Formats: sequence, structure tokens, C-alpha cells
Amino acid sequence: MEENKFGHDQSQYERPNLPYRCGRASLWQTPCNQGPEADGTCGGVRECTPFLKNDRWECRRDKRFGGPCEDGPGPGGECSIQRPPCAPRSTLRVIRGRLVVLAVGAILALIGSSLVLDPRFGGVISISDAGPLSKSHAKFTEKEGCSACHGVHGKGPVAWIKAVFDNSDLSIHCVNCHSFGGPSFKAHNASLSPDRKVQDTQCIMCHREHSGPTMSTRFLTPEQCNSCHKNQFESLEHGHPEFSEKFPYFSRNSVKFDHSSHLKKHFDNPKFSDKAPGACSGCHMITLSDQEIRPEGYEVVCASCHDSQIKKKELILLRLPELAQDLIDRKSLVQACNFPGSHAKVEEEFLSISTEQLALVTAFLLNIPEDDLETYDQPLQDLIFSMAEDSYAPFAELIDGQSENSMSENLLASLNPEVLKRAACSWGLNQEYEPPAEARFGGWYADMLEIRYKPAGHADPVAKSWVEFALAVSTKQGEEDRASRAIAMREQILSVKDGVGGCVKCHAVTEVKNSKGDSRLVVEWNYKNDDERPYMRYKHDNHIEILGTKRSCANCHILNKEVDYMASYKEYDPGNWVSNFESIRKKTCMQCHSETQINLECQRCHMYHFKPRFKKDMLPVKAEPPSST
Amino acid sequence: MKIHQGYSLVRVWGYVGFASLLFLVTWVWTIQIDRALGIPTFASGWVLFGILTFIALFSARKRLPFLPLAPSSRWFLLHAVGGFLALFLFWLHTGGVGSKGFYGQVLTALFYITSISGMVGLAMEKFYPRQLTCSGAEVIYERIPGEIAEIREEVESQVLKCTEETGSSTLAEHYLETLNWYFQKPRFFMNNVFGSHLSQHWVRQQCMILERFLDEKERGYLDRVFMLAEKKRKIDFQYALQTLLKTWLLVHIPLAGAVMAMVFWHLILILVFFV
Repeated sequence: MEENKFGHDQSQYERPNLPYRCGRASLWQTPCNQGPEADGTCGGVRECTPFLKNDRWECRRDKRFGGPCEDGPGPGGECSIQRPPCAPRSTLRVIRGRLVVLAVGAILALIGSSLVLDPRFGGVISISDAGPLSKSHAKFTEKEGCSACHGVHGKGPVAWIKAVFDNSDLSIHCVNCHSFGGPSFKAHNASLSPDRKVQDTQCIMCHREHSGPTMSTRFLTPEQCNSCHKNQFESLEHGHPEFSEKFPYFSRNSVKFDHSSHLKKHFDNPKFSDKAPGACSGCHMITLSDQEIRPEGYEVVCASCHDSQIKKKELILLRLPELAQDLIDRKSLVQACNFPGSHAKVEEEFLSISTEQLALVTAFLLNIPEDDLETYDQPLQDLIFSMAEDSYAPFAELIDGQSENSMSENLLASLNPEVLKRAACSWGLNQEYEPPAEARFGGWYADMLEIRYKPAGHADPVAKSWVEFALAVSTKQGEEDRASRAIAMREQILSVKDGVGGCVKCHAVTEVKNSKGDSRLVVEWNYKNDDERPYMRYKHDNHIEILGTKRSCANCHILNKEVDYMASYKEYDPGNWVSNFESIRKKTCMQCHSETQINLECQRCHMYHFKPRFKKDMLPVKAEPPSST
Repeated sequence: MKIHQGYSLVRVWGYVGFASLLFLVTWVWTIQIDRALGIPTFASGWVLFGILTFIALFSARKRLPFLPLAPSSRWFLLHAVGGFLALFLFWLHTGGVGSKGFYGQVLTALFYITSISGMVGLAMEKFYPRQLTCSGAEVIYERIPGEIAEIREEVESQVLKCTEETGSSTLAEHYLETLNWYFQKPRFFMNNVFGSHLSQHWVRQQCMILERFLDEKERGYLDRVFMLAEKKRKIDFQYALQTLLKTWLLVHIPLAGAVMAMVFWHLILILVFFV
């Protein structure tokens, strides 16, 4: 290349920042000297622009392009070297500028069009769409759309500008559907004392949406827990405090099942050994295990050994006791009983057909001593006469008078009024009642001198109602005699040996207090979920899967043969108890959960939220009835 | 100590070190926010926004040459280092992939394409100038059409002269059939980009085919045509590389504009709906 070719006097100065370039050069021809005009027209149609000097036109062709031409300008001042014009092209710089405008314009058009053409209203795309929601949220926000969580959505530019300067209301919208056992925006939903300064929380601190079908939830690391908790430690292995003394058997079982006596005594007894389960899974439902492994129901676990015991226990509602004299008007009784051929009262010395004592239930209901003939003679015979007239009505009245809520309907359920009337009529005539047949199938029946109830089997509703009645009336404050009669009745009904309420042999009786401080006794009829540790989580199923079904339970749950398990149930305080099993210590977990084996972070065992629930009706759309066409 | 293109190694490593430090500080900051149950993406997002704005200012700087805002070469270096820092901050901000929403995917795609085009451009800016200098025929890009036209005219005048002087049309006919195509405009673009010698072989082959049919005088003219073809080959090489050096910006800058537009939209959405 010639060195001086680009000298200032040999070549023109290139200006690539101008908007146009020579059209001839773009076709790889020799470019003209002048180049395009600023407006994009060709500047090369002539070689120069002649200059008028002293009435003569002079050629002004630059020296670099050969200097003045031989022909010179024409008489009118036009250049003598004319060429057809070219079509100047845009320079790269201009093309680049246009592309920038195009690219930015495309984005702005996309934004603008998506604001106008929302997909929900027939548009194609949404440039505001932050991503698909999780399955659950997608379903429940289907109708409301974005505004279900983003209050400002669809409210126009003024609301948007306002939202920029306001705090986010995202978490507030979360609690429209979610609720907790405590304050929603306090740490762990716990109601802490005012002197503890704890920063308020927001749902979006941990929960992220728009990440696809699965909700993105932050799994808290020990460092994050330590940022609030004073008791800081690295992991279960390093620094975690020892488990509490009773862990994990904090609350008394609702069913008194003494594992020691069953495993070591009853199951070894040849009489029952064929009915004994082979392993824990024989009674506990490991297939549905999670934090707790619930036992199977009564029919699976208990019935084979204990079912026959239930049917032997009976309730004596009324027993005709020894009477001192006949105080019932015979004529009225015959009329009430509609006995054909009965005679008027015979004037002879009265000899009571019964030498028994009054039943404790009747004694309580009439509030009379069961052994004082002089005292109970009149009220009892009045009751018998009323029974002859109105069957169960006087009993229902007496029962309902004992408590605020009417209980007679449950307590006297399925009581045949005819049987009661016939028995009362017989006793009114100082005769024994002859039942037409033996009561074999349970239920209410009259037999000679008594009205009895025989439970049909486990969970008999009448028997349960009598247990609850006995417990309810025995804890009521009242006069001393009445209270002692209530307790005597309760002891008889709840008698494990022969009382109809022998249910309490297995079901725990617990004292509960209401908000006023009044206490009452309740029977724990059902399996009780352990909700005293709402922040704890443990997955039995994972552990059983790894350790196997045979021996995995005994790895952690070690039978404590020393404790008197049943002693805990003699009292009504559920907190004062000892488990059949030794408490689990930290070292038990650390057999597997150490840094070198299976590490444990806080949230593996501890839940953040307190009793999380849903507020919203999960199935708001109800089936519509078929249209009548 | 100097490296090619006039960049001081100390300055280069100084900028890289500063960028690394800024990234580390942001990283630690996000970790601390995360531990305090804050939203770390806010921190990384704001830093990323600042860096993107800064590297976008390079374009504005080029439009303001009259202001004493440090030389353009330093801005270019800062732009390149800032670009890599933005890429790492983007990974920190998004975890590698953007959101699954449409606008997040558009933003992510645009950002990655812009970054890749920037890296390709940086590589070209680093290696091509040296090759252009070493080719031995440096020429201003805008003058290449004129240079090619000038060579073509010279070749054609030599061919005419040969025909007039020798009375033989062999060279002229051969020129019209083959070499004329070569001299019309830059040829063998991709071969030149990848440093292939195909164009040289092609010209040499065309001359060798013809040589045996020419007498001594005609061979002299053929030699001159060959020399002009060699010159044209060097200009073609200049054209190919300089075209790439100029046109990669046609991808990078418009996409960068689109990225910034999307970034502002993202910022608006976050401020309105999330913060």
C-alpha cells in the first residue's frame, strides 16, 4: 500500500458518522468526490460547484481530484462534467440506530399491547406474567386472577404509581385464605410477650410464587434460625439442647394400654398367646404413619380378648326395694294400668315383696337415701305410680332436672315404655314383674324387681351417655348428701368390675377446666392427636422404610418395665403421668443423624408455622342441579 | 508494562480485581440478607441494575467526545469488565435461569444473547486488529469500495493494453470469463474471516491455467494482473474482518437497548407488585 495515499492532500476525509454514503461505492464502483448531500440526495452529479469571479465562472475541482478541468464551467455556471445521480445508502451507524429504535420499540410495543390485550380477555401474551403459579394457588386464584394476590392489579396507572411508594400488600392477601393458630405476621405465629422485641414477618420472606407447579419455599438453614434465636447452635450434633425429660411422651394416652403388662404378661399367657400380635405393626397402622402411628381400632386391637367383658356389665336404673307400707291408691293404679278384674285394695297387713335396697341411680335421681326405708317409702311409691301412669316420663323429668342440658333422650334411648309401665304396675300391686323372655340381646329390660340396661357391645351410646352423666353430676357443687349420692352412683356406674361404665377400665378420665375455672371430668373416648408440640415434626414412615418394619420401633421406643403405668390414670390430671417407654434422648437420633452420616437441619424436625389452616372454602363451586328442560 | 491495544496490564487487572471485589461484596451481602430472612434478590438486583446502567453509559460516552470523561479505550475496558461482572451478578440474581414467566424469559434470553454477542465482539476486537495490521495492506473501511474499483480499472487497463500490444485476445477472454468475477467486489468473505487461503489458490490456479497459452509479453501482463489480484486479496481480507468488527455492534447495541427496556419494565413491576 502506498504510504502517502491517505495524505491530507491526496485523499478526502472520511466521515462515517454522516447518515449517508455514496450509492456508487455501495455497488463497488468508484465513489464520487463530493459524496451524498445531507438530505440523502446524490452530490456527485457534477464534479464541482463553479465560482463566479470577475464575471467569469471558475472551475473549483479540488486538487486531490485533478484540479480545474480542461473544459471549465459552462456559460451559465454549470459544471461541464455531469453524471447521472446515484442512490446514496445509509451508513452502518444509521442502520444501527434504526435497529436500536426497532428493538426498543418492539419491547415497548409488547408491553403496551400486553397491557391492553390481557390473555384473560382474549389477548395472546402477557409481558407482565411473572411465571406460572403453583398448582394449589393457580386453582384458587383462577377466578380472581392476579388481583387475588396483587391488589393493585388492573387498577390503572395512578394506583401503580401509588403502589411504588407504598409497602407491598402481598402478605395481607395471603391471610385472606390462610390462617394460623396465632398472629399471622409474628415469628412462628407465636403470641410473645410485649417486652420481647421480635421483628414482624411477611409471607414473602420465605414463600415465593411464580416458580411453576411447585411452590418455592425457603428451607431455613441453622444460620437463619440463629439470626433470631438466642440459643444458637450449628446442628443437632453440635449444640442442640438435650431433649426434654418426657420426650416424646408428653401427654397421657386416651386409652390405658399398658404395654408392659400386655407384652410381658398377657401375650405370653397360653390362653391369649394365639391372639397376641407378632410385632408392633400388629396393632399400629404403619401404612398410614406420619408424625404419629395411630393404633388400629378396637375391633382389631382389643375385641378378640375384651369384647365379652363389655356385655357382662349392666346398669340398674330402678330396683324395687323393701317397702314399709302400701301407699299407692289401688283403684287409681288399676285404672292407670288398665288391669281387667283387679280388685280394690285389700285391707290386710302389708308385706313387701322385696327385701332389696334401692338402686343408687334412683336414690340419686330422687335424692333420697337408698337404705332409709322410712324416707324413701313415699317418694319411691309416687315414682312407681307415675311410671304406671306415664311410663318413662317421670324418669326423664328427674334426669333433665339434674343438668342444664337435657340428657334423658340419650340416657333413656330405646327404653320401651310398655315394659316400664308393666313393671311399675306389677310393683304397684306388690308383685314381681314376670318378663316374657330372657333379655339376651342387650338393651333395656325389666326383670323381676329391676329395670336394667345391658350394653350391646363396644361404644354403646346409652352406656357412654350414663358414664358422661355420672361424671357430670358428680362434679357439680351442691348439698353434701346429694354430692355423696352422686359419687356413690358414679362409683357404681364406673365400676370396672360390673358397672356399665367399665369403659373407664381402658378409657382415661381427665379433668378439664373451662375459661371460668370450673372443672369437669370427661372421658377420652377417642384417640388423641398429639397437638401439644405444634412446632415439631417427625416422619415415622421414612424411618420405618429405612430401618425395616420388624425391629425399627424398638430402636427408639424402649419399654420401661420399672414404671407403674396404670398409676397415672388413678388421678385425673393428664400432665402427671409416666409413659410405658423410656424417654428418647438426643443420642438415639445421633446414631444416624450426625454430620458424617445424615445431617439434620432445624426444619427437618421443627415446623415454622403454628397450626397452619385454610380459611377459604376449598370447594366454592357447588354442583348445580340439572336444568329442567 | 503494556499489552496489545495499549491497555496497561495493571489497569486491566485493577479493574478485574475491583469487579471481583464488588461481586464478592454483593454476594456476602445477599448471604447476610438471606440469613436475616430478607429478600436477597433485591440487593443483587439493585447492584446489577447499577452495573447495567453504567455499562450502557459507554454508548452515551461515545456520543459526547467533547467532554473530558477519560479516553474511550478506558471506557471500553470498563465496559468489558462491567459486562462480565453483570453476567455473574445476573447468575447471582436469578440463580442461573430467569423467571418462568414470559417477560422473565424474554429478559433472560435477551441478556444472554447480548452477553454472548459482547463476548464475541470483545474477542474480535482483541484478535482482528493484529491480523489486520499484519496483513500488510491497511485500508480505511469506507474506502474499500474505491480501492477495489481502482484495482479493477487498473486490471482492465492492463488487459486492454495487452490486447492492443500483442494482438492476442487470450488474456482478455480469460479475464472476462473468470477473473472479472473476482475483481467486481470483495470475494471469499467467509474464507477470509477464518483465515483460509482459498482466494489465493483460486487466483493462482486461474493464472496457471492461462500461462501455458501465453507468450512472453502476455505473461508479463499476466504477472501484473496477478500482482493486482494479490492486492485485491489483501483488501478483501481487510473488508471481511473490518465488516465483522463493525457489524457485531448491529446485534449487540440494539439487543442491549432491548435489555435495558426490559430491565426498566422489570423494575416497574417489582416496585408496583412486590415491594
